[in-house]
Amino acid sequence: MSDWTRGRRSDPHSSKPENRKRGVDGSLRANREAGGSGRENGGHTDGSYRYSEKRHASFTTPESTGPVSRCSRPADWGSQVDDDEMRRDVHRDMQRYRRRILGAEVTQRERKTSSGSSESCDSREGENMETDEAVLLRRQKQINYGKNTLAYDRYTKEVPKHMRQPGVHPKTPNKFRKYSRRSWDQQIKLWKVKLHAWDPPTEDGQDKVLDIEELDLGDVMDIELDFPTLPDSQNAPASLPARSLSLEGEDCSGTPVKVQKTETTVEPDMA
Amino acid sequence: MLPSIMENTTDDYRIQSFDLDTQMLLKTALKDPSSVNLEKVSDIIMDQSLKDQVFSKEAGRICYTIVQAEAKQNNGNVFRRNLLNRLQQEFKNREETRGRSLQEWVCYVTFICNIFDYLKVNNMPMVALVHPVYDCLIRLAQPDALMNEEEVDCLVLQLHRIGEQLEKVNSPRMDELFFLLRDGFLLQEGLTSMARLLLLEILEFRAGGWLLSSTAHKYYYSEIAD
Repeated sequence: MSDWTRGRRSDPHSSKPENRKRGVDGSLRANREAGGSGRENGGHTDGSYRYSEKRHASFTTPESTGPVSRCSRPADWGSQVDDDEMRRDVHRDMQRYRRRILGAEVTQRERKTSSGSSESCDSREGENMETDEAVLLRRQKQINYGKNTLAYDRYTKEVPKHMRQPGVHPKTPNKFRKYSRRSWDQQIKLWKVKLHAWDPPTEDGQDKVLDIEELDLGDVMDIELDFPTLPDSQNAPASLPARSLSLEGEDCSGTPVKVQKTETTVEPDMA
Repeated sequence: MLPSIMENTTDDYRIQSFDLDTQMLLKTALKDPSSVNLEKVSDIIMDQSLKDQVFSKEAGRICYTIVQAEAKQNNGNVFRRNLLNRLQQEFKNREETRGRSLQEWVCYVTFICNIFDYLKVNNMPMVALVHPVYDCLIRLAQPDALMNEEEVDCLVLQLHRIGEQLEKVNSPRMDELFFLLRDGFLLQEGLTSMARLLLLEILEFRAGGWLLSSTAHKYYYSEIAD
């Protein structure tokens, strides 16, 4: 990390988004403004660091078409209130999730002794969860883009939660789990692709399948496909956490194949 | 909708002052927001609030209902977003508005305070509005504004309605406001006796924890027959 800070100091104008690095804890580093005088922290060759007060006002994100201001304070009231609301929702979700995980951990520990399960890290999920507000907000925005679609609307109306099968039905990625940025973005991408199966009917339904084939399967095989059920902000979670966690292993194989199934022909298969 | 239901909606939301077509549009917005142009609806409400003080006093209610309805129907926030951005525009131009028309300025303050009152986010006031509301009230407490009864009247009305909430979210600015009010009451020459009465009452009201004691209430609010 000290190399990074030294590098930043000698290049005060490097303010592009691609230069943003992550600290060891996964949180984003602040961009340094030009010139050394504005900085409050002097040397930190030991790798520790504090957020500088001078941060970049705006940058282009994957979701936006142009520069957007930092989440700290957009200029217009409409966005400020939307951001506030999202922040509060995320915090509320975090409370709920923590409570859920604590409940599941107890059950998982009891099962572990009898089944001798693998290195599934879910029993320590409570300590391993993502809590960085900036990350959670970004992830929530990405989830919202997917949920604000006709496809999602039709999907949720058609397939109630208790009828959903892992691998077959799209599951919202769990924003509280620790994932690399790349892994998360890929999960979102795949989830949205899966949701397309519920797009309002067009003349040629086959188009949807072709989109999937174009994916780089190398990337797909890298990522974890174990999405535990996410607490829905509207409904109280109905599924048993322990049960859903134990089904993870079955997800990893044929995602592309399963996605080809369209809405009307899903055979319920008892896992 | 049944005639009786339509009547209630008209009364509840004080939309009698709109022409019938607009009334219909608003009623539809309440029941089926995605079927109407919500940006247009928010503009209509904003524009009317600047003209009609009776409407602006309770316009927050209809706004709240539309916001809820839109969120429930399709998770949208077009209405709220547009309304807030209009509010922000008008806020930026408030000094000019005040110079042009006291009535419009007073309506604006009434409206923004009503929105602050009704449009909560997760049951909390909208943080984005706190400073702007204070800015407006503090403007009303300036010496030149205290000379106008309608501005004093507006100021005390808002403090009665949202003073307690405002103080909770930002107490130093409320202190700042009340320093001005005390000074105004004591030192401002040329205040009408009505203005002074209003100021005294609000000073007592806040000092009493946003409540008026029954004796004070009797003093200020009972009719004294001449």
